[in-house]
Amino acid sequence: MNYILSKDEMQHLFSRISRRYEVYGAVERDGEVVFERVNDFGIVSQKKSRYAPKEFLIERGENVLATVPQERKAVFGIKSCDLKGFYIMDKQILGKDPFYTARRENTLFVNYVCNEPCNGGFCTTFGGPVLSDFQIQVLKDQEGYHVMVSKEFDHYFRDFRRDESRAFEEITEKFMREMKPLPVEGIESRMKWDSKLWKEFSSKCISCGACNYSCPTCYCFDIYDEGEERKREWDSCILSGFTRTSAGNVRPDLSDRLRQRFYHKFSYYKKAKGEYLCTGCNRCVDDCPVSIDIKEVITHDYLNE
Amino acid sequence: MTTSMNEYIPRFLDVKRKVQETGDTYTIVLDETSKAEPGQFFMLSVPGAGEAPISVASGTGRELEFTIRSVGKVTSAIRERDRIGVRGPYGNAWPYDKYENILAIAGGIGIPPVRSLIERMIDKGRGEQLEVLYGARTPEDIVYYSLIDSWSSNMRMRLTVDRGNTTWKGNVGFVTSLIGKSESPRNSAVFIIGPPLMMKNAVAEALKSGFREDRIFLSLERRMECGIGVCGHCNIGHYYVCESGPIFPYSSVKQEPELFL
Repeated sequence: MNYILSKDEMQHLFSRISRRYEVYGAVERDGEVVFERVNDFGIVSQKKSRYAPKEFLIERGENVLATVPQERKAVFGIKSCDLKGFYIMDKQILGKDPFYTARRENTLFVNYVCNEPCNGGFCTTFGGPVLSDFQIQVLKDQEGYHVMVSKEFDHYFRDFRRDESRAFEEITEKFMREMKPLPVEGIESRMKWDSKLWKEFSSKCISCGACNYSCPTCYCFDIYDEGEERKREWDSCILSGFTRTSAGNVRPDLSDRLRQRFYHKFSYYKKAKGEYLCTGCNRCVDDCPVSIDIKEVITHDYLNE
Repeated sequence: MTTSMNEYIPRFLDVKRKVQETGDTYTIVLDETSKAEPGQFFMLSVPGAGEAPISVASGTGRELEFTIRSVGKVTSAIRERDRIGVRGPYGNAWPYDKYENILAIAGGIGIPPVRSLIERMIDKGRGEQLEVLYGARTPEDIVYYSLIDSWSSNMRMRLTVDRGNTTWKGNVGFVTSLIGKSESPRNSAVFIIGPPLMMKNAVAEALKSGFREDRIFLSLERRMECGIGVCGHCNIGHYYVCESGPIFPYSSVKQEPELFL
């Protein structure tokens, strides 16, 4: 169901949600957008956060022997591309990892739809900024706040005005016009194992792992003991230890590992789960110190290289 | 899964016995009856050292045993302890129930999951339908030396070593050299486990010897940290070994360039 709310009504909605959840929001701090506890809807930023708020579901580091958390959290202002990452990851890890699963089930995400295509972003390649899977989805324009609500949360909206406008369709149309989708279809069979692209990337890559950490769909982690704790920490498939065993290493070269990253995103996940493991957020490109562009993996001419 | 259950928390079991098998390989017998099927694995752990994926070495319904080569921090720490953290079993089993005859080929420390298979098939009265080929580097590296004799009355087993010594009177040569001489019917299922190069050669030799490609199964080893399909380390192509394996039909993974690495 779609509703149209004024700023005051949004504040009202925010208060209702606050009664049942610990509320977090995107806020501007020293020129960067970060997520923190918020008590006032007015300070929630429309801007894309500096980092994807992956930590709401997968903490950067935590003790897996600890009690599985049960807090109910609501998160205002997560961007569609970042939220979409969770829906894609769900297909592999929901119901298996107890921490992810508990947090996923106890967290309400209120995603904000962008009004303008962002620099470098390519979300239209994967459907655009208006999501088909969401809980509460918000698009702000001069008329107010257009809110698309999933059934489960409709009871929060019973006394608000229904939205008959085409605001969401129009924003999708605008994005499709202004941010041309990349030809991703069939990439899973087009990509080439011995493409020169992997060597080209590896000649620049400095193995920092920033692409993994910034990615809203990278879920891999490392487990190791530290004192009494068994720690789980975000891992990076770009690092050489990622596949090391007593029998050796299946990916000794950096080019092997870069290829793995892109095959996971555009071939393996598609084959296993029916979706690409990418949302077009461009965070890995923005954060790469040597300008490796994941879009090149999609647009590269493998046949005639 | 209910959200309050934490799959990462191991149960702790007493070590009833330890057996030094070879210079670097030992067996631990735990105080539990095994519910695992041959081919499955457990995450074994020592607090402070960490966890390691280890295949079950004993047959279903027998005492839960693991045979471990101490090569790292965790596998060395396990040997020193009287209580071990255990989670599992995880992964799939050798599909021994789907085929009448089985030829199992093990190289090196690939033997424990085959021992589990041997015990299971003997316990089910199917020893005669099983042939095992086992290759070790040297006579000193042969694991389960004392058990092998007791099995031989129930099933066929051939041993070989890469390099013999002055007292060794048996076969010398890679385990793959025994495949052509196998007495198993050529429609047998072929189970292969061992180092990557050995598995690659064993597949080629099995095919050359007339065994059917669609009945070859490989047990793959990859880095595993979670055992439950979420940490992302153990993929072979679009499969996670912990989740879809560790045992794969050869036909489902033969196209993967990383298969025998």
